Amino acid sequence: MNWILLTPELTVLLAAALFLVLACLKPDPRRDYQLAVTMAAFAVAAATACATMSGDLFNHVYRVDLFSQVFKALLAIGFFLVIFLCDDFQGVAPSHHGEGYFLLAVCTLSMMMLASAVHLLAIVLALELSSYSLYILVFLRQEHRWGMITGLRYFLVGASASAIMLFGLAIIYGVTGAVHIDMLIQQLPAMMGHPMAVTGLLLTLAGFFFKLAVFPFHFWAPEAYQGAPNQVAAFIAAVSKVAAVAILLRMISMAQGNSDQLARGLIAMAVISMTVGNLAAIAQRDFKRLMAFSSVAHAGYLLLGMLCMTPAGYGAAMFYGAAVLIMKYTCFMVMTRVADDGRNLQIDELAGLHRRSPLLALALMMALFSLAGIPPTIGFVGKLMIFVAAMQKGYLVLVLVAMANVVVSLYYYLLVLKAAYLDEPAQVLPSISLTMPARLVAVAMIALIVGLGFYPTTLLDLVQAAVLRLP
Amino acid sequence: MQPATPLPNSLIVTAAALLLPLLAFGVIMLATRSRHRLSAAISIGAAGLSLLAAVYLLVQHWQMQAPLIFQAVWMVSGQMTIPIGILLDPISLSMFAVVAAISFLVQVYSLGYMAGDPGFGCYYGCMSLFAWAMLTLTVSSSLLQIYIFWELVGLASYLLIGFWFDKFSASEAGKKAFVMTRTGDVAFLLGLVLLWLQLGTLDIPVLTNPATVGAQLSPGMITLTALLIFGGIVGKSAQFPLLTWLPDAMEGPTPVSALLHSATMVAAGVYLFSRLFGFFSLSPTAMAVCLTIGTISMLLASTMAMVARDIKQVWAYSTISQLGFMLMGLGAGSLFAGAFHLITHAGFKALLFLCADVFIHHCGTNDMFEIGRQGGRRLKSAVVCTIIGAGALSGLPPLSGFFSKEMILGHLLDSGHPVAFLAAAVGAFLTTYYSFRLIFIILFPRDSGDAPPPESHDGHHHAGSEWPMTTVLWCLAGVTVVLGFFQTPLHDFLARAGTGFQAATPAHHSWLPVAACLLAAVAILQAWFEYGRKKARQIGWVEQIPFLADLFGQRWYLDRLYRYLLDTLVYRGVSRLFTANDRRVIDGALDGLGRSTIGLGRVIDWVHGGMIQYRLMIMVAAVIGLILFIGWGG
Repeated sequence: MNWILLTPELTVLLAAALFLVLACLKPDPRRDYQLAVTMAAFAVAAATACATMSGDLFNHVYRVDLFSQVFKALLAIGFFLVIFLCDDFQGVAPSHHGEGYFLLAVCTLSMMMLASAVHLLAIVLALELSSYSLYILVFLRQEHRWGMITGLRYFLVGASASAIMLFGLAIIYGVTGAVHIDMLIQQLPAMMGHPMAVTGLLLTLAGFFFKLAVFPFHFWAPEAYQGAPNQVAAFIAAVSKVAAVAILLRMISMAQGNSDQLARGLIAMAVISMTVGNLAAIAQRDFKRLMAFSSVAHAGYLLLGMLCMTPAGYGAAMFYGAAVLIMKYTCFMVMTRVADDGRNLQIDELAGLHRRSPLLALALMMALFSLAGIPPTIGFVGKLMIFVAAMQKGYLVLVLVAMANVVVSLYYYLLVLKAAYLDEPAQVLPSISLTMPARLVAVAMIALIVGLGFYPTTLLDLVQAAVLRLP
Repeated sequence: MQPATPLPNSLIVTAAALLLPLLAFGVIMLATRSRHRLSAAISIGAAGLSLLAAVYLLVQHWQMQAPLIFQAVWMVSGQMTIPIGILLDPISLSMFAVVAAISFLVQVYSLGYMAGDPGFGCYYGCMSLFAWAMLTLTVSSSLLQIYIFWELVGLASYLLIGFWFDKFSASEAGKKAFVMTRTGDVAFLLGLVLLWLQLGTLDIPVLTNPATVGAQLSPGMITLTALLIFGGIVGKSAQFPLLTWLPDAMEGPTPVSALLHSATMVAAGVYLFSRLFGFFSLSPTAMAVCLTIGTISMLLASTMAMVARDIKQVWAYSTISQLGFMLMGLGAGSLFAGAFHLITHAGFKALLFLCADVFIHHCGTNDMFEIGRQGGRRLKSAVVCTIIGAGALSGLPPLSGFFSKEMILGHLLDSGHPVAFLAAAVGAFLTTYYSFRLIFIILFPRDSGDAPPPESHDGHHHAGSEWPMTTVLWCLAGVTVVLGFFQTPLHDFLARAGTGFQAATPAHHSWLPVAACLLAAVAILQAWFEYGRKKARQIGWVEQIPFLADLFGQRWYLDRLYRYLLDTLVYRGVSRLFTANDRRVIDGALDGLGRSTIGLGRVIDWVHGGMIQYRLMIMVAAVIGLILFIGWGG
């Protein structure tokens, strides 16, 4: 057994263990933060270094290939970025910072495992582990009013989704008698005409749809985002979506593209998700709720790429997953910096942001333009790739619906932008001071959004090579 | 498509002309933003070099026989490759030169305008960004690339207008501009994707080749895609029904308006049409729609301009109306007439806007009556240049507008569109009328016209010297005077674009120029009668008919209509549904919770008694529904 293959996971595991110990000692926020950033940087380094490795581990339950490694690199980067945002970690009591880092690390670890797991039981384990750490992370919110309700609700919806997923897994096992993805791939495609197999697969996907916040498993999202500490909300919105994309690609590709029924189900969910998400977002006043509904809509776009069941579609979805990580993180970064005491930010409170911090305002604008799919941003390239893939499959109507949705979404992104650039605050607010590293990250995010919008070739080649490892 | 052997030389020059403004943007934004003079020098230097490159390219390729294409692969998706590249042909070269020239002149003009402003460096950075986007748009080799830079131009324009934060009061205007142009862009993108799907490529030479397009697309499909792409043109060029955003977007600095809203950005729509002329002309329906929309926009905007009091708004309406006029020429089947008017219009409209800026900054108001009262006529250069520009706009000989308008009118007559011709004649009359209305109001103010020469109102704006501003005005005026005489060489040059060009110039109607001049003279006389002569009450005939004055002043109630539709559909319908649901379920519950003591038991109680089961039920019901849905089809 080649332990080198596990370096990224081991690094994150080490970080988790470290913080488990530190959480028992006397809390020291400064030390905890610096350690966490260092460990997260190591994780990024490890994940990038291992990006091209491949091999099977643990009796072939765990597969390391380009597909999983690219996702792990993305997850590690997301982990680092979120940790980086925790410099004051407002919204979580100082005594709980250690636990917070511990849970973030555990969650990242489990999501990395999710990207690599090829055995149904391993998948369930990884999924549950990541969900449970997130439940508690939401619960860590200092104001209990928020943390408790939302933590519970999140948990209840999550548990129900897991139940549905386990039911689906049971059906799949019942139909095929297989629990390993390699075996399922041999059996499932032939059985895709069988209603039982399709139902089982669709129910199984429920657990992952819950992660991605696809309709009808999105009910937790607005409340969890609103109730969670801002940094945790950033983690849920940006990083956990990447893991959901990874596992969904793995599961959907099992059908080998020869299931019209599955595609029909996915089409229905994609269309409803986009529409519900975008329409509901229009009415929001709270920044995080708005982002939550925008996540639901973006889940719909991602699903649109996946349901093509072609390499082009998978590649597009994977690219868009990376894009979502960057765009959503940038939005939440701005939000966290503006709401410096960890409160929930209302959109009105962004007023005058362009004067308080031109850099943050610019970052927000680019991120929102990218979310709205305006070229030349990464969001445009991602949407273009998804639409092209869908058009190649002949889903013309679907693309039209998606584009109509993009127009609707513009409306509310514009409202946010209007608040940041055009509205005047009721009273003059002090400018927001950013540390040098914080500035650098903001500039890097802008550069990524625009740079990958202009020159996406490298990343596209990478994801297209990665999805070829899918069966 | 017969791409000639690439001339590396031209490629290098073009690439340099494109990259320099981008480089200038980067350098200014990253390093020299706080050093105003240096930033301006970098930006103007880049724009100047781009202009030189454009002139060089124009001279080099004046005799070009076939378009030059340079392409490289940008992205690959499945079996589709997405290229980027440069396409040099007479149309793109001439537009390239126009854009380079106008942005260079406006940047020089801004030296005087912006002197002492704290955002000086930033302003020049955005200017460079805009110049880069717009220049690249003109030489793009594929429709997708045009779309990308089309959006980038829009982005740069928001930056440039938003740059004037303190004065950009009209947030509603910004929103409107954004939504309206985006609505058009969505149609554009849709048409583009459809085309892509059908043809497998978006290269402009392929698209404009009637043989390939005709073989691969059904006539219905051509019409559909052409109309969708035309939607983008309507949005960008502020044509009916998306025309109300442009007058409202006049809040920004006036030089920006001169650059964006007259010569370059809004002209991009018309440019796109001439770019794809070969494609559009395959669909008679699309051409007819173009002609109709152009006619409607031209007439509507002219009537609006007749009652406006804001000098910038008058020129904004006039821009809409002239863009409509170009579309009429193009829609009637003459690429040259439309393109020629595009070029001449860029010159004289930029001139008019810059003159308006001089007035506004000396008198501190946009109201032309007020400008007249404050002695705007003492600003000699501005007055003379406005008259030259307005003369060109009205189509008076020997100014450039005369020649290009004649071309379009002649074409409308030749191509058998008598109604459009009559409308164009009426439009020309109205145009002359409102242009000279403005001039007479400024020249012959009713009261206190002999006030002392106006002092600058915002002291800091004129801390810099005036010479850059005056020089630029006279440059543009010179261009306006002489450009018309280059009609024949330009025609020969543009004729080499190949597609959609009739070999012969339109038959000359010797009576047409005379009639047009007479018409203009009548319009001027009427304007003089109502505004100029000693006893004139300075109330136009339109304003004496309350109904018309109201209709025109309210922009034919288009805004009200849109507002109403938006209110009913978005706010009252969808939004309220969701807000109500949100408020009742979440806010109500949370408030109730906040008021009472919170114990874990209560929370659990509430979660159980509250909405969570309901939601879980929806979840399960949706899953069951989904299973039934997929099962049914199987």
